[in-house]
Amino acid sequence: MSAPVTENVQSGGQGEGGEPSVQAAAAGKGRAWIASGGLLNLVGRNVALFIFLALVILASLFVENFAALDNAEVILKQSAIPAIAVIGMTMVLMTGGIDLSLGYVVGLASIVSGIMANTWFWPAPAVLASILVLGLALGLCNGLITQFMRVPAFIATLGTGYVLYGLAQIVSQGSIINRLPRNFLAIGRTPMFGLPSAVFLALAVAVVFHVLISRTIFGRRLKAFGFGARAAALSGVPAAWINVSVYAFCSTLAALSGLLFTVRVNAAQPNMGGGAFTFEVVTAAIVGGTSLFGGVGSVANSILGVLSIKIIENCINLLGVSYHLYLAVQGAIILLAIILGNLTNRRA
Amino acid sequence: MLEPLVSMRGVTKFIYGGDGRPLRNTDVKILEDVDFDLFPGEVHVLVGENGAGKSTLMRILGGIIPPDRGELKIAGARVNLADARDAREKGVAFIHQELNLCANLDVAHNIFLGREPRRRGLKDAGEMYRRSAELLKALSADLDPRLPVARLSTAQQQLVEIAKAMSFRSRVVIMDEPTASLTKREIDVLFDLIRRMRAEGIGIVYISHRFEEILTIGDRFTVLRDGRLVGTRPIQSFEPSSVIWMMAGRSIDEMYPRTHAVEPEPVLELRGLRLAAHTPPIDLVVRRGEVVGLGGLVGSGRTELAKSVFGARRFHGGEVRYLGRKTNGWSPARLIRAGMAYLSEDRKTEGLIPPMSIRENLSLASLRSVAKLGFLSRDKEERQAAKLIQQLSIAARSSEQLVSTLSGGNQQKCVLGKWLCTAPRLLMLDEPTRGIDVGAKAQIHKLIDQIAGAGVGILMISSELPELIGISDRVYVMREGGVAAELEAGPELTQERVVACMV
Repeated sequence: MSAPVTENVQSGGQGEGGEPSVQAAAAGKGRAWIASGGLLNLVGRNVALFIFLALVILASLFVENFAALDNAEVILKQSAIPAIAVIGMTMVLMTGGIDLSLGYVVGLASIVSGIMANTWFWPAPAVLASILVLGLALGLCNGLITQFMRVPAFIATLGTGYVLYGLAQIVSQGSIINRLPRNFLAIGRTPMFGLPSAVFLALAVAVVFHVLISRTIFGRRLKAFGFGARAAALSGVPAAWINVSVYAFCSTLAALSGLLFTVRVNAAQPNMGGGAFTFEVVTAAIVGGTSLFGGVGSVANSILGVLSIKIIENCINLLGVSYHLYLAVQGAIILLAIILGNLTNRRA
Repeated sequence: MLEPLVSMRGVTKFIYGGDGRPLRNTDVKILEDVDFDLFPGEVHVLVGENGAGKSTLMRILGGIIPPDRGELKIAGARVNLADARDAREKGVAFIHQELNLCANLDVAHNIFLGREPRRRGLKDAGEMYRRSAELLKALSADLDPRLPVARLSTAQQQLVEIAKAMSFRSRVVIMDEPTASLTKREIDVLFDLIRRMRAEGIGIVYISHRFEEILTIGDRFTVLRDGRLVGTRPIQSFEPSSVIWMMAGRSIDEMYPRTHAVEPEPVLELRGLRLAAHTPPIDLVVRRGEVVGLGGLVGSGRTELAKSVFGARRFHGGEVRYLGRKTNGWSPARLIRAGMAYLSEDRKTEGLIPPMSIRENLSLASLRSVAKLGFLSRDKEERQAAKLIQQLSIAARSSEQLVSTLSGGNQQKCVLGKWLCTAPRLLMLDEPTRGIDVGAKAQIHKLIDQIAGAGVGILMISSELPELIGISDRVYVMREGGVAAELEAGPELTQERVVACMV
């Protein structure tokens, strides 16, 4: 809710009538406001929230067993890990770039964390720290290649992604590491208020990054850079640094996702994540209103995007339809979002 | 008298706002009431400063954009061109400065792109190559139609464009700065070709900034200024200083405020700065509280000079001293922190972030002053925006309005406001009043005076001579990448003197 919130102030204010004497006037104004397309604008500024609410309502009405507490728990558990990954992707998309290596970072982080915990007997905090550093290093590579070697992000991260995928296979020697030590599993499995700690970890990361993007100098510069790199650079925005840092953040968060995935399934495997996960995360960011052309993005909205597509996946499961429909739906969502975005831009 | 090939009457084009609707109520228009005629067998040269409306007028003739008012006749018949293709079919060929060829296709395929000769539904390649060869031969061009365009020089590519125009039997050919990237010899070849086309009764519109060429090839010339027609004359009366006068000169009909006082300490000193390897070294000084004007023709190096000082461009040796320190190689970010500011002539891509609000644009260059430990204070930011909106009288509903929805004058005030937030010591202004209405212009002139009065050194690039002379304490006139003259304000500083130094 970083960017759109600024404009919400206006529209929100008109809905609430303050004192009784003003209420009649406010109601009249409200009607005029709805007639003039104000309602459409309100929806337009909060697309992610409305999509989420619409899905919740529709699923509750039409999908059996959806509206149950334990089902909500399932959705939350499944959303926690992509929610962490989507934050980084949102930041990269905000610069107008993309990180296709995200899912492969997840795979490499998974197998490496398994080796550290199981083969080398490293304590859990050391594994966590090392994995974050690994992610940071990989992200710096992505960032430096796109920024200084002038390779388009799409190609650069596709290339590094495949390099990482190959490395993960070599490191794992084709095997999966099972039965991980208990202290390592505790990172994401400790029960808290009836939910695994991974959910709260995701929440904490989300809050930190939401504040970073919506309230700090860094976030403002990121937005300006995404909208107009030239004007931003000539206004003193350290463009190169911003561009490199988003890839660093993205891979670090992807590595954390990989570690939490490993904890959740109690198995370290190099095939974890991959292209399918990258695609899921990009879809979630787009459902959350992130623009593929830069400038527009918000952590809170992207996480609503994750919840939305996880609800779709959940419904597909509950309805007993093939999981592959979920993949097709994701593709359709991305296409639809881009087409709609183009149409509205043309109208403007 | 011959009937004109093209006759444009009262052509007007409004400025379009961020919402895609024309702004009819401002007194600034891209084109206003322009008349233009082109006769068979003439080379009609179009001159004017950047932004004078030359390209817009030709884009209308080329069918790329429609006029908002006025009529267009081709060969005596009134036409409404639907698009560029329609214009081409009606005999108007537009050869753009950036050539529009497909590099991966060969010459013949480019000439017949989209209308390859067919036989029984299939492409007739033999016929296509034969006709291409004929066309090229008619232009006495020694060019193999099977050569891929990627392997051709710019001059050869231009030939392909001309062959393409001929294949449409175009009667009107528009050339937008065709010699910009040609060598001397290639230019001669091109001119031969133009003369041949002229002999065949084709009318040519020739846009150029280069006076020698205009004298060599032109028959008549038309000068545009601020979207208005200044005049159309035969080339015999083309005299560089009088043409510059037509392009840039205005009668001084306003009073320029002058309350600031120059102090002795220099803010900016350039010692032997060379903009390019072959340009002469530049020495220049701007003092505290001084408004220094930078005059010159388009392409004389004024913007390059400002960008070199601002760290946004590489230069070839020499020294930039800012506040007594050598700042060669400093980044714009570092210079901004040290109090240097540069208002670009390109408001939309270098000055503002149009999809962001006024508040966000105003604080962009000085985020630290509205933040604590990296966290932005919405309160401080809003107070700052409100203060500047009032101080600069920016016409806006609120500070949350997107700058893309503001008029040009108000946008320019936003850029100025952004730099005022950085508490500048040196403010470089590149065409600060281009494309904005008279009222906003006067306000900006007043602001410049006030800012200088607060002890800021100002370096102002302007193509408007009255502005340059009216506000500046001193004027440097640039020519071909170097400083041609330095003129002090006073009775000596006249529009005639400045113009004489430009050429």
